[in-house]
Amino acid sequence: MKADPLIACSLLLSVHVQAQDFAFFESKIRPVLAKHCYECHSVESGKSKGSLMLDTKQALRAGGDTGPAVVPGDAAKSLLLSAIKHTDPDLEMPPKKPQLSKAVIADIETWIKSGAPDPRESAARAAERPPVDVESGRKFWSYQKPEQITGGIDAFIETKLKENGLQPSPEAEPVVLLRRLYFDLIGLPPTPKEVKAFSMEKLEATVDELLKSPRFGERWGRHWLDVARFAESNGRESNLTFPHAWRYRDYVIDAVNADVPFDRFITEQIAGDLLPAKDDAERARLLIATGFLALGAKGLNEMSKAQFVADLADEQLDTVTRAVMASSVACARCHDHKTEPFSMEDYYALAGIFKSTQTFYGTWIDSENSNGSHLIRLPDLPGQLIPNKPLTPERVKQLNEQRAQLDAEEIAQTEYALKAKLEGRDISGEYYKMLSTAIRILWTRGGVDGALETVDEKGRALPLCMRVQDGKTQDSKLYGRGEIAHPTKAVPRGFPCVIEVGGKLPKEQSGRLELAQWLTSREHPLTARVMANRVWRHLFGAGIVRTVDNFGFSGERPSHPELIDHLAIKFMDSGWSVKALIREIVMSKTYRQASTHRADVFNQDPDNRLLWRANKRRLDAEVIRDSMLAVAGVLDTSRRPGSLVSELDGQSVSLIGFNTKLPPDLDGSKRRSIYLPVLRDNLPDVLEQFDVANPNLVTGDRDVTNVPLQALYLMNGPFVQEQATALAQRVIKEKPTQPERIRRAFALCFNRAPDAKEQQLAESFFHTAAGDETKLTTAYCHALLSSAEFRFTD
Amino acid sequence: MNTIHSRREMLTTMSSGIGWLAFSSLAQQAVVKGGLAAKEPHFAPRAKRVIFLTMRGGPSHVDLFDYKPELIARNGKTASLGRDSSGAKLFGPVHPFAQFGKSGQWMTTLYPKLAKHADDLCIINSMHTDLPNHAQAFGQMHTGSFQFVRPSIGAWTLYGLGTENENLPGFITLNPPADNGGAQNYGSAFLPAICQGTKLGGSQLPELYSALLKKDVAPGPPMKNIVSASPRELQRAQIDLIRGLNERKLERDGFNPEIEGAIQSFELAFRMQSEVPDVLDLRSEPEHILKLYGIGQGKDQFARQCLLARRMAEAGVRFIEIASPGNWDHHNRLRELLATNCAATDQPIAALLTDLKARGMLKDTLVVWAGEFGRTPYAQSEDGRDHNHKGYSIWMAGGGVKGGLTYGATDETGYKATLNPMHIHDWHATMLHLLGLDHTKLTYNYGGRNFRLTNVSGEVAKGIIA
Repeated sequence: MKADPLIACSLLLSVHVQAQDFAFFESKIRPVLAKHCYECHSVESGKSKGSLMLDTKQALRAGGDTGPAVVPGDAAKSLLLSAIKHTDPDLEMPPKKPQLSKAVIADIETWIKSGAPDPRESAARAAERPPVDVESGRKFWSYQKPEQITGGIDAFIETKLKENGLQPSPEAEPVVLLRRLYFDLIGLPPTPKEVKAFSMEKLEATVDELLKSPRFGERWGRHWLDVARFAESNGRESNLTFPHAWRYRDYVIDAVNADVPFDRFITEQIAGDLLPAKDDAERARLLIATGFLALGAKGLNEMSKAQFVADLADEQLDTVTRAVMASSVACARCHDHKTEPFSMEDYYALAGIFKSTQTFYGTWIDSENSNGSHLIRLPDLPGQLIPNKPLTPERVKQLNEQRAQLDAEEIAQTEYALKAKLEGRDISGEYYKMLSTAIRILWTRGGVDGALETVDEKGRALPLCMRVQDGKTQDSKLYGRGEIAHPTKAVPRGFPCVIEVGGKLPKEQSGRLELAQWLTSREHPLTARVMANRVWRHLFGAGIVRTVDNFGFSGERPSHPELIDHLAIKFMDSGWSVKALIREIVMSKTYRQASTHRADVFNQDPDNRLLWRANKRRLDAEVIRDSMLAVAGVLDTSRRPGSLVSELDGQSVSLIGFNTKLPPDLDGSKRRSIYLPVLRDNLPDVLEQFDVANPNLVTGDRDVTNVPLQALYLMNGPFVQEQATALAQRVIKEKPTQPERIRRAFALCFNRAPDAKEQQLAESFFHTAAGDETKLTTAYCHALLSSAEFRFTD
Repeated sequence: MNTIHSRREMLTTMSSGIGWLAFSSLAQQAVVKGGLAAKEPHFAPRAKRVIFLTMRGGPSHVDLFDYKPELIARNGKTASLGRDSSGAKLFGPVHPFAQFGKSGQWMTTLYPKLAKHADDLCIINSMHTDLPNHAQAFGQMHTGSFQFVRPSIGAWTLYGLGTENENLPGFITLNPPADNGGAQNYGSAFLPAICQGTKLGGSQLPELYSALLKKDVAPGPPMKNIVSASPRELQRAQIDLIRGLNERKLERDGFNPEIEGAIQSFELAFRMQSEVPDVLDLRSEPEHILKLYGIGQGKDQFARQCLLARRMAEAGVRFIEIASPGNWDHHNRLRELLATNCAATDQPIAALLTDLKARGMLKDTLVVWAGEFGRTPYAQSEDGRDHNHKGYSIWMAGGGVKGGLTYGATDETGYKATLNPMHIHDWHATMLHLLGLDHTKLTYNYGGRNFRLTNVSGEVAKGIIA
C-alpha cells in the first residue's frame, strides 16, 4: 500500500506562519496573481513565459530568466513589484494591458515587505511544474550534491519522530528479527536449528554470516536484475530467445556476492569492454557485464535499419539513466522534457554515445526478425560452462553445404537478372518468383548462419555472450520530434547539462567509459543517492524517496532528506560497498523495530513515512517459492548450469507453449527462483502471480497485489502441491506422531510453535477431513504453505 | 462436512471464530463483513455494471467524434495554441466525418459499424484532464489522481455496490497495459484488497494459442490453476484451516488489511472454481454470435475480450475493463494508424452493443469508451498530433445515459473544452451517480481522513442522464 505525500507533508512541515498572514495573501494577493498572471505563468496554463511560474511559493521565489520574482522582505529586489509598477520599460506586466490599480500594487508591496507569506507550498504543486530550465533545475534537491550533516540513521529518524510527538517502536522479538533478516538478506527462512542458536548478542555475527552467504548474491542480484530489466528473450512483437543471457545473470550474482564496488559494477556494465583485463577470465567477465546494454526488448521486425538503430540506442539510454540516475532523460527524445530539466540536446548528446556503440544480441534473421545480430565468442577458459548444444560434424558439414547452396542460388539469381538487363530482356513477369526466392534464401540462411555461429568447425559448442563494443564514433543528429525523417543539427556527444559534473569525450571511442565515469563521479548528485534509496526500499518496503525510479520533479520528495544524503555519502566513503550499506542499515535500531500496530500512531501516519515501526511486508515472488522448497527440505542450492532457455531448440518463444517437454508453469526445478527462465511475456506462473518485475521495464519498486488468482495458484498449482507433498514426507519421516508432526511443520514454516488455538485448529482438521494420514498431512502442509503468515514478514 | 456452503452458513461458521470479532470491528465494516455481497446503492441506480473500453494512448477526438468545420476550413493555417503559441499549424481531420442515426450525430466514417449505434451513444466532447502525460493522465482516468496511489474507479464501484455474483471477482481487467502505472490502475490502494481488479490475460486465456493456430482450440481449462487439486470436501476443510490460521494471524496483528484481503481471496478463489471455467469458455457461444463479434476472423483477441466482457456482465461481474488492442498515441502516421485502430475495434464494440441490447442488458450496463486524453487540433510532424488534455472526447452508452446526444463542446478548433466542460472528477461523479452512488458519500476513512474518488470536487452532469 502506498500513500499520500500531502498527508506526510502536512505532518512534516512545521507551521510557523500565522494564519492571519495567509489570510491577507488569500484575500488580496492570490486573486490578483490568478487573475492577471497565471495565464502565462502557471502549471494550469501550461505556460512559463520567461521561465517564470507564479503559482507556487517555490516557483515565485526562484523566479524566472531575469531573477527572483519575490524576495521576501525586500521590495526593491522583487521583480514582480517593479514589473507591475512599470519601473523598467523592458519589464512591464501584465503585458499589453492597463497597469494594475494603485491599491493592488500597494497590497503586493505590503505583502512582500511583510515577508511574503505564501501557503501555496505542497509537494503536489511543486510536482506539477512544467518544463524546467537548467538553472532552476539545478536548484532542485536531487540535482544538487548530497550534503554532509552530522548524524546517523537512528538520529535522523528519531528527530523527525520527536518533532511529530511520536516514539519509535521497541525492538522486535529476536525470532521475528531473525526471520526478517533472513528474508531480507538471503531470501530464505531460517531453519529451526538456526532459530535455536540465535540470540541478540549474536546479531552482528549473524548479519555478517548472511552477507557472506552465497545465497546473498542470489537475493540481491535479483534486485539488480529487476532494475536491469533482465530477460532471456526479446519480447514485443518478435519474442525470440536470448540463449546466452544467463551469463549476465551469473555475472550479477557473482559481482553482488563479491561486493564489487558499486561504481565499478556500473562501469563494468556500461563499458566493461573498454576496461583493461589482467587475464582471459577477467576479460570474459567484463565482456559479459556489458550484456546489460544488449538485453533490452527490441523492435526486431522493424524494416528500417535507421529506425532500429535509433530505437536500440534509445532503449539503452533509457535503461541506463533510469537504472543509475532514476531519471527519465529519454522522454526528451521527441521534445524537451515536459517536467524535468532535460532538453533534446541533452538527449541526443547521450544518444551519440550509444549510437557509437555496436550491440550484439544474437538473434538471427527469420520471418519474425529483420534485424539479425551476431554473438561474440568468449575467450576459452578451463572448466568453462557451455550449455548450448554441440552439433555433429556431419550436421556442420550439411549446414555448410546448405549455406554454399544458398549462396550459389543467390549468385545465380543475381547473374540471371544482370544478364537479362544487359540483354534488354523484360523479366518483370518473374518478379514475384524471384522475390520469394530471395526471401527464402534470406530467412533460411539466417537460421543456418545462426546455428553455425554457435559451434566451431568440428561442431563443438562455443562459449558465447551478448555484449556491446565500440563502433564508428559519431555524434547523433538531433531529430525533429524524434523522427528519423527529420534530422537537424548534429549534437556533440556529452552529458545532460543540469548535472554539473565535467567529462570530456574522446574522439576515438564511443564515450561509454566516460559516461560510466561521469555517472560514478563523487560529484554526481544522483548515483549514490539512487542506489542507497534502492537498498533502503528493499529493507523497509518503501524508499526514502518512494518513487525509487524517479528522482525528478514529478517524483516524490524524500521523507528524510538528510538521511538519504547521509547514506549516499557514507556509501561513497565506504568505497561504494553495498554490503557495508546494508550492514549499517540492518544494524540500526530503526530497522530492528517491531512491526506491531499502534492504533493512535497509525492514525497520525498511516503510511509509516516516519518509520515509527517496521513495515509488515508481503514476500517477493522468488522468496515465497524458494521458502517452500526450503521448508520442504528439497531446495537445491547449487547454481543452475546455464538456463532452460539455453537448451531450447529454435528461437521463437511463441512455440514454447507447444513444447510438451516443458512444464506448463515453466517450473520443474528445485533450484532457486533466480534461475527460472525469464522469457518476456511468458514468465513462470509463480513469478507472474506474485508480482515479479515486468522485464520490459526498469523496476525498483514491484507492485504488491492481493488477488484470488494467487489463492488459486496456491490451492491448485502443481508446484505448491509438490512442495506440500515433500514437506509432508519430511515431517512424517522426522516425527512419529501426529501432534509432533503438526508442531514440526509449524516450526519449519513459521519458526515458532502453534499456540493453543492453532494446535486445536490443526487437530480438528485431522479429525474432520477425510483421508489417510499421509493424505491429510499433505493437505495440512499445503494449508501452511498457503497461509498468509507463510508469505508475509513482520 | 457439507460441501456447498451458502453465504449465510459461511458467515455463521466464520463468526464463530474468535478472530472474527476483532477483524470486523477494525476493518471497514460493510465490505469485510459481507465479503462482496451486493449492497444497496444510495439511490435507485440506472446502471448495474460497467464495461470500460480503455483506448490507451489518447485517441484523436478531432478525427473521431468532435466535428469542427472551422478546423477543416482553417486547415494549414497557423494559430496561437498550446506550447507553440508562436504558430501551431491547424490540421483538419484526416478522414471524413458524417452524420449518423436519427439523431444525426457527427462521427468519423472510420467507425461504420459503431455508427449504426449512433442513437445509443452519448458523445461527450468537453472532457478535460489535468496533465498531458500518458502515465499521469492514465492514472487519473482510473483513480482520479495523477499523482497519488489511489483506488481505481472499479475498486470504488465494487466497494460501493458489492458484486452480483460472489463466485467471480467483482472487478476484472483483461490484458491491462503493464506500463502507465500498471497494477495501480486496477488497484484498491487503501480500500479492502478484495476490491482490487483481477487481471486476466497474457498466457492464461486461450486467445494466444488460438490466434497462433488461427482456430479455437482452447486446450484444457481456459485458465490456469482453476481445476481443484483435491476433492472438493477436502479442499473445503483445508481452506477452513487456512482461514482459521489467517484469522489467528490477523488477531495477533491487531490490524492488517493485507491479511483480511488474503482471507477473502481464498474464499473467492474456492468459489471461482465452480464458475469461472464456464464463463471463460467461448465454445458454448453459437456461431452467429462468434460471427457478430468477428471471432475466428484474423486477429480476434479484442473481439474475444468483448464477448468475454458480455459473458462476465451476464454472470454478474460489476466492473469489467478491456484495453484496446492498439495504442492511440498517434504522433505520426495518424492517417494510417487511426484507420487501423478503428478497424480493429469497430466490429467488436458494435457487436457488444448489439448483443447487450438484444439481451435487454444495455439499459442497465454502462458501456464506456475512453482514452486518457485527446490530441491537438494542430499538427505534429506532417501526419500526427500531440497530446491534448484541455479538450477531448469520450462516449458512453446504455446504463441510463441519453443516447443520440452530443454533450458539451470544445472551442472552434477543438483545443479546449468550453461548453459544459467535464473534468475527470465530473465524469467519475456522473458514472457513480448512474450506478446509484453519491460520489460525496462514497468515502473511505484512511488515516483519519475521508477519501473519495472525486477528491474534493466533481459535479454530476445531469444533462446526460436519460
